[in-house]
Amino acid sequence: MNKTGIIFFPAFDWSLGESHPEREERLLYTQEQIFEEGIMDLPQVKQYSPGVANLTDVLRTQAIFPRLEQHQLDAHLIAVGSSIILGKAIMDKEIHNGFALIRPPGHHSGATVWGNRGFCTLNNEAILVNHLRANYGIKKVAIIDTDVHHGDGTQDIFCYDPNVLCISIHQDGRTLYPGTGFTDEKGGPNSWGCTLNIPLIPGVGDEGFIYALENWVLPRVEEFKPDIIINSAGQDNHYTDPLASMNVSARGYGKITEIIKPDLAVLEGGYSIQGALPYVNMAILLALAGEDYSGVIEPQKPERKEIGGDTFRSYLVNLKRQNENIRPNWTLKKETFLPAGEWVIQEKNIFYDTDWFKEHRKDYVRKCDHCGGTVLIISQNQLTFEKAVLVRIPFEACESCRQAGYDLIEHFKNTEKTLLLQNQYKNEVRFWNDGREVNFVEQKNQTA
Amino acid sequence: MENKIGIDVGGTFTDVVLIRGDEVMKKGKIPTRQEDLLNTILNALDFIELSGTPSIGHITVSTTLVTNAILQKKLPPVELVLFPGSGMQLSSLHWPVSYRVLAGELDFRGREVRQANLKEWETLAKDLKQSEAKSVAIVGKFSHRNLVFEEKLAAYLAKEVTGLSIALGSEWGQSNFYRRSLTTYLNLACSGLLSNFASQLQNAVKARGCNAPIRVLKADGGVLPLEKVRPVESIYSGPAASVLGALAQSDGQESYVVVDIGGTTTDIGLVLSGNPLMSSHGAKIGSFLTNVRSLAVRSIPVGGDSAVLMENGEASLASYRLGQAYCIGGNHPTPTDAMRYLNLTDYGSMSRAEEGLALLLPENEREPQSIQQIAETIVHKMADQIGLAIEQLLMEWKAEPAYKVWEVLHHQSDFKFYIQLSGGGAPGIASALERRMNTKTILMDLSDVSNAIGAAMAKPTFSWTLNLDTSLSRYRIEETGEQGSWEGSKKPHKEVEEFLKNLALRQAQSMGIEAKTLQTEPFDYFPLVENYHTVGQIIRGSMHVPPGVLRSVTGGLKDE
Repeated sequence: MNKTGIIFFPAFDWSLGESHPEREERLLYTQEQIFEEGIMDLPQVKQYSPGVANLTDVLRTQAIFPRLEQHQLDAHLIAVGSSIILGKAIMDKEIHNGFALIRPPGHHSGATVWGNRGFCTLNNEAILVNHLRANYGIKKVAIIDTDVHHGDGTQDIFCYDPNVLCISIHQDGRTLYPGTGFTDEKGGPNSWGCTLNIPLIPGVGDEGFIYALENWVLPRVEEFKPDIIINSAGQDNHYTDPLASMNVSARGYGKITEIIKPDLAVLEGGYSIQGALPYVNMAILLALAGEDYSGVIEPQKPERKEIGGDTFRSYLVNLKRQNENIRPNWTLKKETFLPAGEWVIQEKNIFYDTDWFKEHRKDYVRKCDHCGGTVLIISQNQLTFEKAVLVRIPFEACESCRQAGYDLIEHFKNTEKTLLLQNQYKNEVRFWNDGREVNFVEQKNQTA
Repeated sequence: MENKIGIDVGGTFTDVVLIRGDEVMKKGKIPTRQEDLLNTILNALDFIELSGTPSIGHITVSTTLVTNAILQKKLPPVELVLFPGSGMQLSSLHWPVSYRVLAGELDFRGREVRQANLKEWETLAKDLKQSEAKSVAIVGKFSHRNLVFEEKLAAYLAKEVTGLSIALGSEWGQSNFYRRSLTTYLNLACSGLLSNFASQLQNAVKARGCNAPIRVLKADGGVLPLEKVRPVESIYSGPAASVLGALAQSDGQESYVVVDIGGTTTDIGLVLSGNPLMSSHGAKIGSFLTNVRSLAVRSIPVGGDSAVLMENGEASLASYRLGQAYCIGGNHPTPTDAMRYLNLTDYGSMSRAEEGLALLLPENEREPQSIQQIAETIVHKMADQIGLAIEQLLMEWKAEPAYKVWEVLHHQSDFKFYIQLSGGGAPGIASALERRMNTKTILMDLSDVSNAIGAAMAKPTFSWTLNLDTSLSRYRIEETGEQGSWEGSKKPHKEVEEFLKNLALRQAQSMGIEAKTLQTEPFDYFPLVENYHTVGQIIRGSMHVPPGVLRSVTGGLKDE
């Protein structure tokens, strides 16, 4: 029998504020529903215990600036750690697939982290994915983000990486946070096409969503041939969600799960905590466990006008055409500190809505035909004007990209206050403060 | 000084002790007659001369009566009526009994979502009038949040059909509709059995001139008066007795694994800093998953009387017995024979043990050296199976789910454990188990009657879990299924604890339980937000008297 693993971690003692959407109550009714249904008693369902991620896993994937101690990470580390526990259980073939039903969410948290944005501080899926690549020899990963918001953090982490296909299908950024995720965002110089954004017009329901998955997402995933598929399973496309304007039902989410067939689904957003979450979570879990979810019926009926049929299909055809017509247009940059090779620069401004400040970033990517290319990120917090630098040597880096990374470290070690090296090639994380290497303290209860 | 009597009905033997103060005055072991448990218990009482013993405080029985009836499927018919509403298909889970489905649905807060269909009720009443089942269990999904459908249907049926005995699922207030349904079913099905047994036992005890109350040991290690216990809660009292027996013979705050080696099964339990570990799920019995609270215990089918089999020239232990050990007159070699042969015990005849073990070898290999070797292998294998089960129980404990940041960060898994060993086969296995687990193994002084001591000294337990929804002005108590209306504030603070405490004390008193040691778990407050306004709170909290023993017991006993 195919086993489905679940970690249910509702973080009943953690919130971003008493009446904040991301509050203790969020998974309370989901717990009531799945426990009352007896889903944990299904013979193929195995419940796992949550755990705490270790900091090496976090820093391999995300640069926590300016220093780890300045962030409240406890709850986030458990959300990440729990995702990793299920990921490992899948790799060890204890389970066939899994659902990390956890809080807090993570998909708005990007390559550099100065604070909480979009309710996220650590990116659960990204840290998990790189953990599996570092420890299990996983080569190619597809992340399919079905949250109603653009998975901008996940995209930010993997957009220069040709071995991770990031697909986000979401409500159009012109009408919803975070305002990005347009179809022209297609990846970096060495990873063109590995980012796919499908922004949907408000009002799309089960029919349109499933049509887009079957006609665009699935063919792209099949072409990419991933070793593992992760689903960022946000539930705010539901027709009762207070923050978004879509029309997907709980059974629609069951069908979405059945179509995507993720190895691991990780809960992201979803803030209709009474009207949607208990039912959507149940439908996803039943779909993963191969059970009939057709009896999952929410008490509330949809009230929004649904966009579907020909209107939606012609919208999607146009969008796809636009996407195919986009060509890369790179700005090459020469700087004294950049080692040999061609470097593409991209400038970004990232807004931290929870803490209300901006980060300015310059991302330099080494163009490379042999590997993902070394990445240099120079980041500045626009509130405190603190600056910090991240150097990332990718998994399976070629020799010249590796050397470029080491040269960058030699240069910035003495000129910058805060410097992080993510040497994914050597599975090593190093951190410098004021030119001195710092040993970040490992915590107890590690999952690794 | 007051006397206490403890009786543990095991698969092979029934143990009995008479304790005065903290001293075991009398002890005995008599064969169990599974087909006649009443007389088995009476024989045990006669063995310690109940009729001549003055001032008996209580008699506590740990019995397999209900367990056996369920496992042997000797239950009277019960009509199970469900209000499942929507959600997961009922057929996704295995139902060991048939059921009938009625319309009517509640949501997770107990609000009515879909109405009941009275036409269906009429048909049900008509059918029941013609049915041989005179018992009806009515269970609704989310009835632990609101018993409205169950109560209305029960009232309707009581009016329409005479002579029905009706049980409601909401009497079992924990979540899990599936388990609640099966628990309600089983409890109702066993109620006649237990009440018959209770009145017979009470009469027989009275006839022996004793008016002491009779208590029953429960799966959670607590005790209740025979007339107050819910029948299905008396399952698995044997393993609970083992854990309590160990508690009664050890110092208060230690952590250890309890291993009780019986004739047919070995029970394993866990004590953490003096507190027995409770299971996070309800007990499973046969193919029934229930909501019955129980200690986290494992029972494995390995004991002193397990049959030894030879496969490809190697000895292995069967999960069944073929009668008594060879050394006490049986026909088949067992671990008991191996222990006797190795001089680890002095139970049974040495020459019979040797003869029995020799049967396992081909005739031309029956030399002392080979017999010695096979005896060692048998003991080693037994220790290995027990060791494996201990490791699994420890793993399970470490993998307990946690739902709060605090719980995950403070998960303690670095206890130092030793092993407390009891049961008939205990002396024979002690050193092999110590080697296998690489940890200190202590043989309890009164290991042969440890379970009966556990029963005699068991303290009443008590647990009281509140779920309060101030927005809907409703409260419910998990353990008894009590539901009532809340008249306090929408956003209460400390007064909730006071409220729960008063309820708890009232209930404790009505059950004859001393609530002096009532412990309070931290309460969880969930602000209820609708449209960005806090409209109330959901509050969860619990108070309990954990399982334990009245006092420690010493071996005051002089050998009889």
